[in-house]
Amino acid sequence: MTDRPSVLVPIRVLEGESIPDGVPKLLADAHVVLLGYHVIPEQTAPGQAQMQFEERATARMDELEELFETAGATVERRLVFTHAAQKTINRLSHEEDCLAVLIPDTVTEMDDVLVAVRGTVGIDRLARVVDGVFAGTDATVTLYHVAREGESDADAQTLLDGLADRLVDNGFEEDRIKTRIEREQDPVDAIVDATVDFDALVMGESDPTLATFVFGLPADQVADQFLGPVFVVQRERPEVEEKTEE
Amino acid sequence: MSDPAAGSESTGENVAGERPEPEPEGVTDETTVQGDDVELERTIGLVGGLAIGIGTMIGAGIFVFPGLAAEEAGLAATLSFAIGGVIALLVALPTSELATAMPRSGGGYYFISRSMGTPYGAIVGLGLWLGLVFASAFYLVGLGHYVVAVLAETGVVLTGLPVGPHVILGLLFGAALTALSVGGTENTATLQNVIVVILLAVLTGFLTYGVLDAAGVFGRQSVPQEFFSQGQLPVLTTAALVFTSYLGFAQVATVAGEIKQPGRNLPLAMVGSVIVVTIFYVVTIFVATSSFGAERLGTFGETAMVEVARDLLGRPGAVLILFAGLLATFSSANASILSASRSVYALSRDALLPRWASRINLKYGTPHIALGMAGGPILVLVATDQVEILAEVASFLHLVMYSLICVALLVLRRRDPPWYDPSFQIPGYPVVPIVGAVASAGLIAFMNPASIVIGAAVMGGSYLWYRYYATDVRLKGDV
Repeated sequence: MTDRPSVLVPIRVLEGESIPDGVPKLLADAHVVLLGYHVIPEQTAPGQAQMQFEERATARMDELEELFETAGATVERRLVFTHAAQKTINRLSHEEDCLAVLIPDTVTEMDDVLVAVRGTVGIDRLARVVDGVFAGTDATVTLYHVAREGESDADAQTLLDGLADRLVDNGFEEDRIKTRIEREQDPVDAIVDATVDFDALVMGESDPTLATFVFGLPADQVADQFLGPVFVVQRERPEVEEKTEE
Repeated sequence: MSDPAAGSESTGENVAGERPEPEPEGVTDETTVQGDDVELERTIGLVGGLAIGIGTMIGAGIFVFPGLAAEEAGLAATLSFAIGGVIALLVALPTSELATAMPRSGGGYYFISRSMGTPYGAIVGLGLWLGLVFASAFYLVGLGHYVVAVLAETGVVLTGLPVGPHVILGLLFGAALTALSVGGTENTATLQNVIVVILLAVLTGFLTYGVLDAAGVFGRQSVPQEFFSQGQLPVLTTAALVFTSYLGFAQVATVAGEIKQPGRNLPLAMVGSVIVVTIFYVVTIFVATSSFGAERLGTFGETAMVEVARDLLGRPGAVLILFAGLLATFSSANASILSASRSVYALSRDALLPRWASRINLKYGTPHIALGMAGGPILVLVATDQVEILAEVASFLHLVMYSLICVALLVLRRRDPPWYDPSFQIPGYPVVPIVGAVASAGLIAFMNPASIVIGAAVMGGSYLWYRYYATDVRLKGDV
């Protein structure tokens, strides 16, 4: 096996959120960045929450860390008290150079994995996540693309085959890779529909647009409706982070 | 003063056996690092910081003081506000430098306790908490006046009450705000930003019209008058009274631990908000006094701006300013209650107040005791209905802190401890902090004797509390 891909696992550590069954095993070959976070209202200073809850949170983090380590993962842990969960998750994903963020959910058997491929942008990181997490398992991965208007099936097939070849080059068994192309209006709906037969999903993070502002990130929309773990592959961040927010 | 060579950690314990919390290990642009793998996220940006500063300040200076100030000083009240602005700026600069070196919650209290020693810190810290309590009470009485004016506009007049209706309304709003802070909607900061933007837009439009009118563009004669109609001394006593309008920038420092990129955003938010409100205040007083003449303006009391608007723009103008006044006094009161609660937290973190005072409510995640320690005394003070005394005591306690902040800067620059590494350095050292310290302390001399006595009593009480409760605690600067 090559590099362990870094996967950020955010957990609301003080609200009884735990690691769902099967997730430690799923990440056995990954480098887990375990983010325990606690969201506090604006009236409360983060330090105030830390003063009161740090001990309990640390004890909980010890348990969670052990779960992952027992399963075989390497673990790096961070505990953050924050007013804005999404900001914290984005920051850590960037700081720890994570390839993907896991939205955890229960997984019993890991047989079929759906990999949603949007386009060539970011496909390198997608490949590294799929290879790093699933190469050592028996799971079959299905590379899936929702073709846009004016995009021919041949183009779509080339895209998926390119990814498949890359995985095979890295040593992924060819007979464990399938491809599938779909045509439907809305990619998010298409992905949600397709996930019915799968145990886990790998998809890209999309660029923030007005629509994601209003409706939330597609990955979150999908994760809300899909009953399994979702790996959200992070797009490459520029070296110097743009300071535009707020 | 505590011995600066006593080691890098805070030591000692209070009567209850609690010790100060350890200092953080470091500060980044986005977090405060609190040990191996524990971080506190910074989530307030420049806009949020400016909104806290401007939102706290603008309520008082524009919507409560113009009538009171014009009565005391005439047209020269404009000068009083300008003096206040200059003093605020002289303090905002040193505060900015200290805040970039120590971007932690507690603001002025934190800087002073870490540079001048625990006794000074305790007096300033407890004074800051109570000063904010006085300020909130003052804003709430102002808010009460605006609600009364709104009701009057709609034809409802409250009579037959044992106390003024504005007091009862102020009490109701005070209780409601405290309850709201405990029960917590999570979007108070966003709301604050929106309120500030609306206020600035409304005021800019209104004042532009007012200035053009005063200049005779619309063909009306403004009332000719003498600048120092009440003499020169009232200019300074009025400056002391209206200084409450400049307390907000230090509230930015009380949340310094939550500001993103503190090295850049803290100075910009503090200095920026002082400059913005000073301009608004001076123009407002100018417009208000030229439309009516200072003498008549003085007869309208706390809601004088509504009459100015009515004179300039008719009933729609009055309604607009009523609405703006409600928003402004509400946002000032809200911001001050939250800052007071933050001060209680900072003191309890350092074992100068019991640890339970900053306990967090498990249901809402809010510090209900600290908020109650703000809200409770506020209600008592609102009931006194002493607008000018409340304002002056608030100013007194803040001015003492401001003066000591300037001294703290001088102390740190001279002693130059290894951890003192501000990313923003003030221009004009050492003149600016020396003038700032003298001017802040000097302004106190022009207050009402009653305010001075109450303020001094609060400080004396704070010192006694420290000697009783936490005399062994030694706080050290180490960020």
